[in-house]
Amino acid sequence: MAGTVIDHGIRLEREGGTPALSISAKKNSVLTSHGRPPWYGEAGQRICDAFVISVAGSIPTVIILSQDSFYKYHTEEELALAHANLLDFDHPDALDMPMFAACLADLKACKQSNIPIYSFSEHQRLEETKYLYGATVIIAEGIMALVDPALRALYDLKVFVQCDSDLMLARRIKRDVKERGRSVDGILDQYLRYVKPSYDNFVRPTAAYADLIVPGSNNDIAIELLCTHVREKLQERASRFRQKIAIPHLYLPSSSGASTPDSTIEELGLHVLPQTNQIQGIFTILRDKDTNRQDFIFFTDRLATLLVEHALQFLPYAPKNVVTPVQAEYQGQVQDAKNVCGVIIMRSGGALERGFRRVINDVPIGSLLVQSDFTSGDPLLLQVMLPKYVRLRHLAEETWVFLLDAQIGTAAAAFMAIRVLLDHGVKEEHIIFIAFLVARTGGISVLKNAFPKVQIVCGAVDESMREGWMDGYKGEGNPDGRGRAVWLMQPGMGQIGAYLDIYFTSPNFPILTDVQVIATTFEMDMGFRTVYILF
Amino acid sequence: MASSQPPRAPVAPPQPANADNTNLAHLNPLPQSVFTLPQTAQLEALYTIIRDKETSRGDFLFYSDRIIRLLVEEGLNHLPVVSRTIETPTGAKYEGVGFLGKICGVSILRAGEAMEAGLREVCRSVRIGKILIQRDEETAQPKLFYSKFPPDIASRYVLLLDPMLATGGSAIKAVEVIKENGVPEERIIFINLISAPEGLKTFTSRYPAVKVITGWIDQGLNEKAYIIPGLGDFGERRYCT
Repeated sequence: MAGTVIDHGIRLEREGGTPALSISAKKNSVLTSHGRPPWYGEAGQRICDAFVISVAGSIPTVIILSQDSFYKYHTEEELALAHANLLDFDHPDALDMPMFAACLADLKACKQSNIPIYSFSEHQRLEETKYLYGATVIIAEGIMALVDPALRALYDLKVFVQCDSDLMLARRIKRDVKERGRSVDGILDQYLRYVKPSYDNFVRPTAAYADLIVPGSNNDIAIELLCTHVREKLQERASRFRQKIAIPHLYLPSSSGASTPDSTIEELGLHVLPQTNQIQGIFTILRDKDTNRQDFIFFTDRLATLLVEHALQFLPYAPKNVVTPVQAEYQGQVQDAKNVCGVIIMRSGGALERGFRRVINDVPIGSLLVQSDFTSGDPLLLQVMLPKYVRLRHLAEETWVFLLDAQIGTAAAAFMAIRVLLDHGVKEEHIIFIAFLVARTGGISVLKNAFPKVQIVCGAVDESMREGWMDGYKGEGNPDGRGRAVWLMQPGMGQIGAYLDIYFTSPNFPILTDVQVIATTFEMDMGFRTVYILF
Repeated sequence: MASSQPPRAPVAPPQPANADNTNLAHLNPLPQSVFTLPQTAQLEALYTIIRDKETSRGDFLFYSDRIIRLLVEEGLNHLPVVSRTIETPTGAKYEGVGFLGKICGVSILRAGEAMEAGLREVCRSVRIGKILIQRDEETAQPKLFYSKFPPDIASRYVLLLDPMLATGGSAIKAVEVIKENGVPEERIIFINLISAPEGLKTFTSRYPAVKVITGWIDQGLNEKAYIIPGLGDFGERRYCT
């Protein structure tokens, strides 16, 4: 059951042979069928590049990068020519190949890229750019994709699709009339003047560089071969590491080489809120299974406010002199971080949002949706919605990010979120992680080893993690209704972690498989009190 | 052996406030009943904003509210707790604590009212009493004009709210009124944002058992009894009158 390439519609196939899921993909888009599994190792380093092929695929988290986006910016004269159909768009020089290669190289290195947007009706590169991030597979697509040697060097697999030229012309007329608002005369003129010679001179010769030449029709077998190859390559790169980090002392040697059972709070370098009467009282209420929802919300807000206040001390401060209304001079200080933003790890990190907003005025907040895989329990990155300060690399380098999550247990989601921020160019020492609870013997020690400069602020530290079993249900991706192992913190505060887990895996809630469903969840989430709706 | 492990990256100490501005530089030693917030750069940055005469009203509200919340949280820590064992959703037993004792707020009008919102964010549906004290033009002494308290105030802990402690005159009068309503000194917690050393000394020597939570101790008073450097008239800046 291979995916089939039909125009630009790409059929996605789920592992395990379940019915294929059809998504019609646009150019320069990110396709996800089931989220993005870890692309880094226990030490936090990136262990694999994205896999770059140059035509088609059918695996989770695919970015399609189209050559069409990289037409050069036109001057006034060129623009006039273009509107008269007199500009040669089918010559390699019409494309900004260095920019194409730079964007592809960034994406391949798992960084974000803000690619240009080209308007075919205006014949011009637009002001805005499109943000792309998080590919497991990148498909670079376009007739000139194999022309430039710098681009060729980046591809892992080069595919040339050979097609009958009558068929190509027919498709071209259909497309340009319908999608690009051109006249048939103009199209034909352009075809004979530029397209055809260009194909003969530039495109067809590049077939020699291809690893695989696929026929443009009746290509089921070729695509099956292609898919098998890509799947094999991805399997080689797969990283299953949640088990390892959840109970680290069983798997990872301690720094001294001795078989130490686990780390103390001091060694972990955690910043725990002073355990005052009020903090202890708040935690008692939050941990109590009989606490009603209203109280739970009120006290999570209160605790979140205190945590964020405590965390702010790790921002930089600089001297500032002011004059008070009684005309006295005061040598004070001012917070000196250039950009500050928050990133919530959905779902349960949403519980910290209100406290965060109470403390930092008008702060941009983004979110990452990380969910456990139903079978392996590995974290999957399902949705990335980051503030501008992180999306744009030159801003990210000067941005301080508060990562918000209810608890750090196995630390798998925290690990993934920190990796996402580092990929974007945020400095490790500019990341401050805020959580209600941290499990001392859980993944925290691996997290601290991997990212020692990340400051972690928490309300309390729980002793241990216990392996539990969450009942499965029959459904897509889990036809046998298998349950899966979960890690529970002891004593824990259940509600935030487990209640949400139950919510998201209950039969009443659709599994988050395609982009549509994720989008709806986020609309709910934007409504401020999300997490509470979810209880 | 945990002790044989090489030390990990040390926990970065919080950045301190300017030494010249700290509480101990202005009042040393602190009276035993006085408690302050940790003197970090972060807290000083908040105070720098609200002290600055160029600060907009919106920022003044936002940042003074943040300090007030921290002060109320600190004040609540002086209330007693009892041990309480509960069961968590994962089925584990947890030895926690429960809050003990009822509280009420009493604000000294008008500026004290500005602290009520911060109190309510931390304590839902808390009862709040009010006291209006003004200077008597003839005697130049603080005089009680109005007071209204919850009927059972005598059985409650009282959080007395007034943002500025300058000479201490009105706070002393307010405590006197609250005591007349049957609340012992030990159950009164006085919360303010900025205090002058002179006023603190007068107040604590008069009522040594009343706990004072103050955000920052300033240099002192000028000839008009304004706190220096202070932040001007809190009520005026808050209510824009």
